[in-house]
Amino acid sequence: MLYKVLENSGLKSLLAGIMSGYELIGPKKLDRAIHDFSVIKDPSEIDLSYKKTTVPPAKKLLFPPSETLINYKLGEKISVTPVIDARQRVLFGVSAWDLNGMNFLDRIFSSDYPDSNYIARREKLIVIGYDAEPSETNFALSMGAEYASKGFDLFISNLGSRNFIRIATATGNSIINSFSNATEASHDDFVAYNRFMRNYRKKFTAIADMDQFGESYEATYNNNALWDKLAKNCFSCGSCNLVCPTCFCFNVRDDMMLNLKEGLKSREWDSCMMPEYGLVAGGHNFRSTRANRLKQRYRCKLKTFTEKFETYSCVGCGRCVEACLAKINIYEDISSIKKEVNV
Amino acid sequence: MSLEIKDSIYAPRVATITQINALTSTEKQFKIKIDDTVERSAFNFLPGQFVELTVFGVGEAPFSIPSSPSNKEYFELCVRNIGSVSGALHRMEAGAKVGIRGPFGKGVFPYDKMRGNNVVIIAGGLGMAPVRSLLLQILEERQNYKGLSLIYGCVEPQSILYRDEIEGLRKRNDIDVKLTVDRPDNNWKDAVGVCTNLIPNLEYKPEDTFIVVCGPPVMYKFVIIELNEKKYLPEKIFLSLERRMECGVGKCNHCHVGNKLACVDGPVFSLWEIENLKEAI
Repeated sequence: MLYKVLENSGLKSLLAGIMSGYELIGPKKLDRAIHDFSVIKDPSEIDLSYKKTTVPPAKKLLFPPSETLINYKLGEKISVTPVIDARQRVLFGVSAWDLNGMNFLDRIFSSDYPDSNYIARREKLIVIGYDAEPSETNFALSMGAEYASKGFDLFISNLGSRNFIRIATATGNSIINSFSNATEASHDDFVAYNRFMRNYRKKFTAIADMDQFGESYEATYNNNALWDKLAKNCFSCGSCNLVCPTCFCFNVRDDMMLNLKEGLKSREWDSCMMPEYGLVAGGHNFRSTRANRLKQRYRCKLKTFTEKFETYSCVGCGRCVEACLAKINIYEDISSIKKEVNV
Repeated sequence: MSLEIKDSIYAPRVATITQINALTSTEKQFKIKIDDTVERSAFNFLPGQFVELTVFGVGEAPFSIPSSPSNKEYFELCVRNIGSVSGALHRMEAGAKVGIRGPFGKGVFPYDKMRGNNVVIIAGGLGMAPVRSLLLQILEERQNYKGLSLIYGCVEPQSILYRDEIEGLRKRNDIDVKLTVDRPDNNWKDAVGVCTNLIPNLEYKPEDTFIVVCGPPVMYKFVIIELNEKKYLPEKIFLSLERRMECGVGKCNHCHVGNKLACVDGPVFSLWEIENLKEAI
């Protein structure tokens, strides 16, 4: 890791420089209260004051809602052609928690059987992080996701008059050297950065009490009254999954073109909250109740990957809390679960 | 820029259905040969593994492989006509092309560890298909095992899979075959009732006995109660779990069982693992 500082005025020319060589995707104000990451035409469109975007930016680019995996041609001889669409892009202004969400997806899609579609896109994505403002439902601090230690090429922290830049890759270094006059960080800059981070962490007001959550979860596993209560308002709509930076469930489907000679295999996001999620041919449903599905979602987010990857898959962004029509709140539910086994 | 890659985990190999046999009124056996000779010779599976089969234009579904792993020229699938993909397969004729991915699953029936032990195979209904691969493997090297028993339960005599083959096994003196049905017909001479009833009669001792169980979800709970009663060891009992699978390669997440995935960690788990997964059974 290299550390440099850049005056605020230098940020604009950095962005202009990036745009001269790459497609730039950054946070843009769409409406009074809505921000989204989209292609930037002019550096002035970028609004780093955003608190959240409905859809997590890295996931949208790397693992789109639907994508073609395979094309095939039928006939005497069947030809099967894998398809991926990977372009060099720069994702600018992504928060630490969304970066950590991407880091989680990186592990999912690169472990066991590497997923070429995801990996090809990921390898071509240049990531520039930024300490975005947490929203009031953001509990990333509790999940250890308010700070990103990897996954980015550059990470920019705005210290007021200047920017503290962590440079993690050769690509990041070359961008900084080509498009900015950033200078080596001094001792005072490190002091200012540490002070900045201490204050930044104070902005996270929502708390998830994660101590011994895994054991509490197991202890309440068969407490049907509790799980029925937690899930009783759930509409099984899947909004929580759609906005989650780490949800990665998908369905694979086959379709034929109208000429009945060409077809394709594609995938599209699925939701573990929907009744069909655990349905198999013959009609047996392994996850037929809302309570079971919510319980599985919480296990997946808060326990499963502490055992597999030594990390939660939840990064605490709070999107599901805000997206839920039934006002199901994951950090409040964490408290309810822990209350059952309180000492 | 659009990039073509050759090694997508979602790309099926083209294969030909070379033969179709009706096993019952609802199940057919498909003999499948991978077209490309290099891909065919690279296709080696272990008992308990499964493939993802594509009916082009219809979809993809997971099927366990019931044939012998030592057969390198082709493999077989036993398919019940019950869903969109299996329905389309049942309408196909010999010579038709399908797509094959796999074999998948790291959790398999550990026939190598079973050597020198007794083996009891307990199957219910369509559960006979996944365990047949193990049974054939053991029969090919029968001298390496001690006692061998097959307990197979079905709804009615007409729904018994591989019936001729199983009747043939009864002529051998090195395997004990027990059949049971819920609804016998007038010619039925074997047991009546669920296969759980036949477990108390097992005479093998727990320390040198492996048990393999495969059947519908409802069967497991009762079989396990009986096996526990007989003090068979959880680490020597293996069960194959069915779950919804979309990808087969640990990505789509549908087959989560606790913190495991049935597709990559299973589909075969020891009872010890299953008891620690809570929602498995």
